[in-house]
Amino acid sequence: MKMKSMKKVVGPEYNLSEKIKTNVYAVGVAMQESVYPHTMTVFYPRERKKMPDNYRGFILFDPDKCISCFNCSFVCPANAIRMKEAPSRRYYPTVDYGRCIFCHFCIDSCSGGALKATKIHDVAYKDMDEMFTPTEEMIELPEIIREDKKYVEYEIEEDDLHLKRTKGEDYLFVEVPPPIQIPMVSQCIDRASCIGCRVCEEMCESGAISSSAENGMLRMKIDTDKCTGCGLCVKECSMQILMLKLKKFE
Amino acid sequence: MAAAIGAAGQSEWEVAVPEKPLKDKTYFENLKAKVIDTNLCSRCLTCAAICPGGITVVGNKVDFPDYETKCLDCGACVRVCPRFVYEPKSGLGDYIEFIAGRSKRFAGQDGAMVTELLVSAIEMGMIDRGLFAGRDEKWATEMFHVREPEQLAITTLGGTKYTFADVLPELKKAVMFTKRGVGIVGTPCIVSGVRKLQQEYPIFRERVKLVVGLFCTENFHYDDITKFLQEKGVDFSKLVKTDIIKGKFISTMTDGKVKFKVAEAEDIIASGCNVCTDFTAVESDASVGSVGSEKGFSTVAVREENAKKVIEYIKEKGYADFGEADTSQLDFLIGHKKKREENIKRD
Repeated sequence: MKMKSMKKVVGPEYNLSEKIKTNVYAVGVAMQESVYPHTMTVFYPRERKKMPDNYRGFILFDPDKCISCFNCSFVCPANAIRMKEAPSRRYYPTVDYGRCIFCHFCIDSCSGGALKATKIHDVAYKDMDEMFTPTEEMIELPEIIREDKKYVEYEIEEDDLHLKRTKGEDYLFVEVPPPIQIPMVSQCIDRASCIGCRVCEEMCESGAISSSAENGMLRMKIDTDKCTGCGLCVKECSMQILMLKLKKFE
Repeated sequence: MAAAIGAAGQSEWEVAVPEKPLKDKTYFENLKAKVIDTNLCSRCLTCAAICPGGITVVGNKVDFPDYETKCLDCGACVRVCPRFVYEPKSGLGDYIEFIAGRSKRFAGQDGAMVTELLVSAIEMGMIDRGLFAGRDEKWATEMFHVREPEQLAITTLGGTKYTFADVLPELKKAVMFTKRGVGIVGTPCIVSGVRKLQQEYPIFRERVKLVVGLFCTENFHYDDITKFLQEKGVDFSKLVKTDIIKGKFISTMTDGKVKFKVAEAEDIIASGCNVCTDFTAVESDASVGSVGSEKGFSTVAVREENAKKVIEYIKEKGYADFGEADTSQLDFLIGHKKKREENIKRD
């Protein structure tokens, strides 16, 4: 629509029958609202809004899948993740929710899929110190008191938005497929400078790096199919001759 | 570096494994048996620099207490140790020119030519950092990465310290950080260590661009020399300069000098120096020392093209005065060190 000149906006002109019709409709809506109120408020905690499955809430941790690559703590823009040594001498992440900005970069960067997102957003703490969550408290879902009997979803119908209430509890932890990661593979960029210390082989969790000694030569091999591109060997190589390269698809 | 990022990587490669004289021992135990226990070790720390396990030297003696837990038995230390297969070097070595120089910009031991060479190389863009040995108020050495000439305001960076410095472990870090190249200054044993690293690993060949050697007769362990000097009445809080001139160890303090003959300190000379025959750092790109030139000048033996370029740059900019150097003055000390060949035990 193109307006060429300014025009004063005027209300529509109704005739008598139309006026009666609109007034009756208005009274009808008012009566309906007084009997069955159509509010937009979610009555938390008696009901909960149903969050999407990939909602960025409390972070869960699976130690069996963690390869201690430190990617989560390096990528964390808020410095909320610290790696702490576990009794097994492996380093596992801890999250300080006083700092966490819930960007979930840690989950996106987790090469082993050990960090998972949950829909839990309502964990209460008494003070800032308590917001520091050690690894042990990240393995299980945190204890929250559930009073909700219904969950609420927004429904959009043309130009109208209203709530849809369903009886039952919303599952707060839904397994979603792991985030798509850029396929990377570890490669040696300066083989002549290799010491042959085999630290990379020792570090590799997926068994992609192997070595064999024969006739005074040490043969190093990276299995590009097994390599997950976690970058552990790249970090540990004391000569810095390993590098993550884009995996090429054939 | 930039080229390496673009270059395709390899997923298969081979590494030559060095030979083990003692088959049932780890490589470091081999090194220990052949070099450290036989008092051949010069404490250049080339082994500690390359060690992927992170072996550390403790104190100021030749002592690696954690080798049993840290050793990965890779053989890197054996490959780089300049004295595992020891070919003693001696004499003046090859050189393009032998000159005396005095920096107009910096204050150092004599003519401050080491500082001038490294800073000029940084200005030229040949290197982006130079490794200097500084010292704390107790004259213990510490390493500095100098990237700007202004950093030389730390006056302790120039001048000779007659104790060991952990130059090579720091060189490894510098090589990993550098974009253009690293310049390094060290005693003949350190220069030999750098050359050995460069010979074995291309990463050092590409990134260590300037190696300045020092004329060196002997060196002392920190604990020994501090104890010795204190007995002689040297107050470290007032000490400003140490020097060896014509066989005399001179400690210059703010309120006087303590002089004694170096021969008196013979008992505390580091054991590795007793088997060292290299006085002029023949393997360096340029060697610098005080012998062979007038007071206030440093003697510079320019050996390689890269050092020649730096000297030409200094001449062009007029950063230093140059004069004649007399190589015959070095003959006595070269001969003195050459005699130490007798101390090397051959098996």
